[in-house]
Order: sequence, then structure tokens, then C-alpha cells
Amino acid sequence: MIPIVETKNLSRWYGNVLGLSDVSIQIEQGISGILGPNGAGKSTFLKLLTGQIKPNIGFVRIKGKKIWNNYALLSEIGFCPEQDAFYEEMTGWQFLTSLLKLYHFSKTEVETQAQKALEVVELTNDKDRVIRSYSRGMRQRIKFAQAIAHDPEILILDEPLNGLDPLARRKMIRLIKSYEKEGKTIIVSSHVLPEIEAMTNRVILIHQGKIFAEGDIHYIRDLIEDHPHIISVKCNRPRELASKFINEDYVLKVNFGLTQDSLLVETNNRDKFFSLLPSLLVEGKIEVEEITSPDDNLQAVFDYLVGK
Amino acid sequence: MAIKEKGYTHWDGELSERRFPWWPITRYGIKLTFKRKFFKPFLMLSLLPAVFFLAGIYISERLQDFKFMVRDSTSFLKVDPKYFNFYFTNNGLLFMLVVIMIFCGAGLISDDLKHNSLQLYFSRPIKKKDYFIGKTAVIVFFLSLLTLIPGLVFFIMKLVFSGSFKFFIAYPWLPISVIGYSFVLAAFFSFYTLLLSSINKNRRYVTILIIVIYFASDILYGIFYGYFHSQYFSLISLRADLQQVGAAIFNQKTPYNIPWIFSFLVLCAVCLLAAFVLKKKVKGVEVVK
Repeated sequence: MIPIVETKNLSRWYGNVLGLSDVSIQIEQGISGILGPNGAGKSTFLKLLTGQIKPNIGFVRIKGKKIWNNYALLSEIGFCPEQDAFYEEMTGWQFLTSLLKLYHFSKTEVETQAQKALEVVELTNDKDRVIRSYSRGMRQRIKFAQAIAHDPEILILDEPLNGLDPLARRKMIRLIKSYEKEGKTIIVSSHVLPEIEAMTNRVILIHQGKIFAEGDIHYIRDLIEDHPHIISVKCNRPRELASKFINEDYVLKVNFGLTQDSLLVETNNRDKFFSLLPSLLVEGKIEVEEITSPDDNLQAVFDYLVGK
Repeated sequence: MAIKEKGYTHWDGELSERRFPWWPITRYGIKLTFKRKFFKPFLMLSLLPAVFFLAGIYISERLQDFKFMVRDSTSFLKVDPKYFNFYFTNNGLLFMLVVIMIFCGAGLISDDLKHNSLQLYFSRPIKKKDYFIGKTAVIVFFLSLLTLIPGLVFFIMKLVFSGSFKFFIAYPWLPISVIGYSFVLAAFFSFYTLLLSSINKNRRYVTILIIVIYFASDILYGIFYGYFHSQYFSLISLRADLQQVGAAIFNQKTPYNIPWIFSFLVLCAVCLLAAFVLKKKVKGVEVVK
């Protein structure tokens, strides 16, 4: 069976800076998560997959065909970039239709496909608003819409959950998963482990431009089970919440943020921590504003895995 | 519920390419230019000289009827290659072309850079070549409105007003000159504008560059000429170079006493430099700068 995406010795440098080194992997149908800290080489990898940059060494094959300079093959790929890539003065509708016109669609097809994509991302009612007025979540969704509008078989999503609030994040995850059910191939990158975990079991860990691990996410979870995680809880009574956690044996350290409204908990069992947290919040009637795992957490996981 | 087979789904259709993949880029660029504030009035204004020249052609054929107007200044109304050369190379028209470049060309690439849109273009079945053709065609379209189209209309109307083919027989090469010089103007201004548009994300900055470089080259020529009294310094002036080449193409005496081929080479050098910079600047967004 030919893999949907195949890379062989894929390497890319930016002058003296290593972007990606010797990546040989095969990706099959379904969702595959590319996980790595910021600057690990995820975006380079995705841009190589979409044929936007040329590898210095190696190649990328999509459905058995080399992607570089194979422009027709790009019709099969939907790419959602990490950064915003909009003409802010365009409406959502204009943005989608102008990009669809770059494919070989007729005028009617352009309108049908754009309409369908807008329905999928639930932006039909806001299609005539200028993108400048869109919220962060709407921007991510319209970006996702442009990736799916031409009905590609392969979706490549670069940090699609960045900047989304929890509700929008859940919606986006559901949307991405619905594409898996349609038999599509989705490659999604993130630097946040739980995000990837919510979408797929298949992960590719990328670190310093190299594939560090590849396979089932549970394997990775087992590896980092005992590794301390830092969780930040922003709430109205952080000291009270800290007192409730301090007796738990899986809580290693408790710190307070500089603004006195956040609590940093270091734990070696995230699951236990998150299962206890809601009940403690309800019991103590503590109002939570935000729960985050600081970005460098994943970097720490990688450091741990490489034995630093 | 349909159960999908896990694995490679064969592509049954044929991967086809659009015949003119660059056309949507051009069409959007033209549409956007027409939406720009003050563009339509300016375009109308810049078409006025063409209307006057056309009226001149008409009057030249009806001198008796317009004797009360023209009196002794009939030499100006002699329609010949010089007349065409004057229309195409006068400072006013060249200035209008520069301003048109600001409206239609300044943001062509800089806006894409500003909005990170290149990655959206190049993740679609669009070649770099198509992207450049699409952008260039926007400039060519607007330049043609002021150069190629009026030039050909002048020629055709001269034949119509005179009611004979004498003019065509006398100057059969003139339409080719019109097309040739329109091509030179289109090529030069396209490369010049796209070069400047690709070096900055800010459209206003590009606008300033388009004006400043064009006029600064002329001022520099004036300064050097003032000191050294050598017309070879006209090679520095983009305007002078365009006028030299124009005069050569319309088979007229060049305005500066130097071989026109030097001016042509300068224009070619600008185009080559632009092509080199554009190749470097316009590419799938690099992750590490």
C-alpha cells in the first residue's frame, strides 16, 4: 500500500540554520499530529509537504508523486497556515471565492464550494463582514474554510488551535475529526500535547529539526508520566486553592504568580490533578479565569525525553 | 454507515490545470485598482491628452474648417511619426504612467507580503511564473490604456479621417513602433514597479520609492550635467532613457546626443535587476529569516 505522504531524508537549511534534518516518515489516512516546541521545525516540515519550499536533500511524495514543482498535485492539498494570511479589507465570502478561482472551478462551482465551506465552519451569517471585524476564532475558522473549500483529500493544518478560546477550540477539534470520518488525511501541528491528544493517537514528535519519536501517543504519555508538569490556574483565590492541593502527594511544588491572581502547580500526575481540580473549585466556590499549561512545558518534556 | 477503507484512495479523475492560471490574480488586481480612491478621476484625467491628440488628428484633416483656430501653427498638427513620438515620450504622459503605477502597482506584491498571502498562493496550483504574469498583467492592462490603445486608435483614426491609405503606405512600420514602444514601457514599468513593490511590506513606502527613484534619477542627471556638461549622464535618468529609446523606435532624432542603445541597455539592466530581486523575494514564506 502506498502511503498518502512519504518523506525520505528530508532536510532543509536556512543558511547555517537547520530547519529540518533527515526526516523519513510515512503518513497514512486519518489524523496525524506533529508535535514539537516552538522552533522545532514543524512549520518547515509542513511547508515542505505543501511544496512551498524546496528541500535541500530528500523528497516528499504525496500519493506516490513528488510534490516539488508538481502544481497539479496541490489541488489535492488544503493548507491552513499558522499566521493570518488575509486581505483584511475583504469579506469572508470574497476571500474564499478569490482563492477558489485559482483552481479550475467554474463560477457556479466557486460559489457552491465557498458556500459549503462557510456552512461547515458556521460562518454563513458573517460571510459579508470584512475580515478585519472577525474575532480570533472566526479568523481561524475562515482560514480553515479556505483549506477545505476545494474539497482536498489531504489537509495540512499548522497550529489551527492557536489563540482560540476553549469553546472555539472544541468546535475546531470536532470539525477536524469530522474530516477524518470522511476518509481524509489530516496532518495537524501543535506545540501543545493535550491539543494533539484530543484529536489523534498518532503523533510525530519533532525536535530541533529531527523526528524524535513517532507512533502512539500513549507511548509518549507513558514516557512522560512521572515527569513534572506545570499548570497555571488563574483564579480569584489562588492561596485557598493552593492549600487544598498542598496535601496531595502528586503535587510537587506550588508557586504564586507575580500578579497574585494565579497559581502555578507542579505535578507529576496531570490526570489526577485535572480530575481533582473541578471538585475543589466547586467546593470552594472559586472562580477560575484561565487554566493553561505554559508553552515551555513541552520543551521541558522534550528535554526530559532526551535526557537533559 | 459507510466504512472507509484505510489506505490510499486512488485518484480517478485527471489532474487538469487552468489554461490561464494567472487570470484570477490579474482580474482581482484590476478590480482592486478601480476601487482605489481617486483612481477613476485620475484615469479620466490621464486620458485627456489622448483625447487632445485625437482631436489634433481630426483637425489636421480638416484644416480648412479649423483655420480660425489654428492660424499659423499648422506644423504642430502635422501627423507623422514625430507626432506619435511626442505623444508617447512627453514628460506629462511619462509622469501619468508613474502615477498609474502607484495606483495599480505599488501594492501588488507588498500587500501580499504584508498579509502573508504568498503561502496561500503557492500552496495552490499556481506557479511562481503564473503569479508574476498575473501581477504584471495588471500593470500592462493599465499602461495599455494610456499607450498601446491610444497609439493604435490614433493610427486607425488617421486613416479613417483621411479616408485613404496614404498614411499607412507612407509609414507602414508605425503600428509596429506603437506596439514596440508600448511593450518597452510596459516591460520597464512592470519590472520597476514590481521590484519596488517586493522590497517592502508597506504600500505607502513603495509609493514613495516609485516616485522618488524616478524623479531622483532625473535630478541626479541635472546635477551631473550641470557640473560636467556631458549628455552621457542622461543615462542616469530613467525618463531620459525612456525618451531616447522612444525616439529611436519612432525613427526620430534622439533628444540626447548619445547612442540610444546605451539607454536601452540601462533599461534592460533595471529589468534584469528586478527579475533577480523578485526571484529572491517572492517565494513560499521562509520560517527562519
